[in-house]
Amino acid sequence: MRDQRMEGVLRRWTFRVLGALLLSGTMFTPGLMAQDIEERFPGVSLGITYDGRQAATLAIQPFTGRLGGENVAPRVQNIIGRDLRYSNRFQVLDELPASLSADEVDYGLWDQMQADYLVTGRVEGAGTTSTLILELHDVVYREVVDRGRFPLPNPESADFRMAAHVAADAVVMWATGEPGIAATRIIFSQRMDDGNQDLWIVDSDGENRRRLTNHQSISMSPDWSPDGRRVVYLSYRTGLPRIYELNLETGAEKMVPAPRAGDYLTPAYTPDGESVVFSIVGSGRSGLFSYNLARDCCFANISEGAYEDMSPTFSPDGSRMAFSSNRLGVGAPQIYVRPTNGGSAELLSPYAFGRPGYYTSPEWSPLGNRVAYHGRVERRGVHQILISELDQRNRIVRVTSEGVNEDPSWAPDGRHLVFVGERSWGRGLFIVDAVTGNVRTLVSGVRANVPSWSPSLAPRMAEDR
Amino acid sequence: MHYRRLFFVFAVLGAVTLGACRRESPEPPAPPQEQPDPGPDMDSLQRVQDSIAAAEEAARRQAELERAQADARATLEQMVFFEYDESAITPQAEQVLRQKVSILEASPNVRIRLEGHTDERGSVEYNQALGNRRAESVRAFFVQFGLSSDRFETTSYGEERPLVNRSDEAAWAQNRRVEFVITAGADQINPPSM
Repeated sequence: MRDQRMEGVLRRWTFRVLGALLLSGTMFTPGLMAQDIEERFPGVSLGITYDGRQAATLAIQPFTGRLGGENVAPRVQNIIGRDLRYSNRFQVLDELPASLSADEVDYGLWDQMQADYLVTGRVEGAGTTSTLILELHDVVYREVVDRGRFPLPNPESADFRMAAHVAADAVVMWATGEPGIAATRIIFSQRMDDGNQDLWIVDSDGENRRRLTNHQSISMSPDWSPDGRRVVYLSYRTGLPRIYELNLETGAEKMVPAPRAGDYLTPAYTPDGESVVFSIVGSGRSGLFSYNLARDCCFANISEGAYEDMSPTFSPDGSRMAFSSNRLGVGAPQIYVRPTNGGSAELLSPYAFGRPGYYTSPEWSPLGNRVAYHGRVERRGVHQILISELDQRNRIVRVTSEGVNEDPSWAPDGRHLVFVGERSWGRGLFIVDAVTGNVRTLVSGVRANVPSWSPSLAPRMAEDR
Repeated sequence: MHYRRLFFVFAVLGAVTLGACRRESPEPPAPPQEQPDPGPDMDSLQRVQDSIAAAEEAARRQAELERAQADARATLEQMVFFEYDESAITPQAEQVLRQKVSILEASPNVRIRLEGHTDERGSVEYNQALGNRRAESVRAFFVQFGLSSDRFETTSYGEERPLVNRSDEAAWAQNRRVEFVITAGADQINPPSM
């Protein structure tokens, strides 16, 4: 068994290493030479965190159904298949072997197709009581890696797609030991023709887009709570920008009191989900403040000065925070990191003496090892997404090249980012995988602003059931 | 005879009242053509004519005042514009702001919300701070001329409420602005004292 696997692995990896060597030199310099990047962002390398390994090849055997599940099976399979592609962790095979028996797993056939993994699924029952039985096979080892049973709600119900996403994330976990991003959603604001802006929500695969708020005002800058049940954002509904918390399950809203004059901007939850931290700007002084939402009290100051500290974001353990600040001069915002409980702030974004640059909108990765933000390439306002790798001596890499790209937000896997992009054909939300560099469109043709990616909603789905 | 004269007096008074109501027509109504009996009542007639003239004068002054107030209000609400990524007051903006200062000095009950805006370049959230900085620099200008700081409230819409919905230099120049919203004392705007 062991020898068989080694043989298969060796056979495939010989080609892959060769391919990777060829690709790594050419793939990630679209339209821009390395020297170009160096000039625009001092110390920034293009080429992201590409590690030279090729993703495992994964095949999907057509799902089957029993006891009424026949019609649901292909729908579930389509959702899961696309999720596995979007995970960017596999090379998903599009073709099927010519002679395939629907009910049996023929490892030999799939081995000939160069598959490392095979996913099989069976839907049992129909209506409100059906179940998906999902298996992940190691084709080389010729054995089942893991299997699970996933309850499926009525295919016409709003939760049906999410239930399939939960199953897709299980496959990612079985194969890689890391979380998937299928069972997640993204909240963003969308500007309408009348100039008003409301919060919208969309599934991670771009489906199910719908409106969350309707205030006939400007609502924007959302941030998901760590438990996935609430969102903080700012709204101009009283005429001045103030912070609100929306409970996504009950629709109840709560306003953060505003004892100080100024504009209340860029709200973010602390990692425990109890407090919101935000910026107050105005009167020549500004700073970061916090308010305890859980206890409805305790308005507190975190930083204050003439620097315009904005966009706070926390390391997962809450011990450190990153934010943007004007310390190097008005019009030259930079990204800083400091201990949450006080202490000096250290510069994180690229800096060259005499060329201060323009870097804003940081977000700390949920894995803790990276901070994403965007930086200005040219004075006329072209921004690109950058990542500071804290575990790589703060090495800075750039993950976008095409168009104008702003306001990144991390997926729970710590490798995908959603961001606002402008292309020649319009504006929308895009998702980039910081490992492979793959970019896909999430929402197009709308004037989207400042997205926030949810934590995994799979635990919530399990609890609700 | 007696009734005819009374009727005439009422007619004239009616005309005067009508004239006073039409504030946009400062011209006096045509003088009475028919003088039915000039003889014995010259004095009372003169008094009537004087009162007509006085009412006319008052109406004209009122119209002038209202026009001056409307002008003052328009001046107060006139936007000022900024350079790219800047919050400094430009020479053109300074001229407009100086006119506003004299009006605000004469109108102590007027309060204003200064709403800062930016063009679409720059970060969405950082632009909210930039718009606020523009509003604050207008407030600082007013304070420097002796106006009380608490008559002004500042806020920013960043790039979210463009005046011109296009992406070119001309549109951007129009969108980098501070707007002036009168939040109190709108009925007590006095033109600058001479």
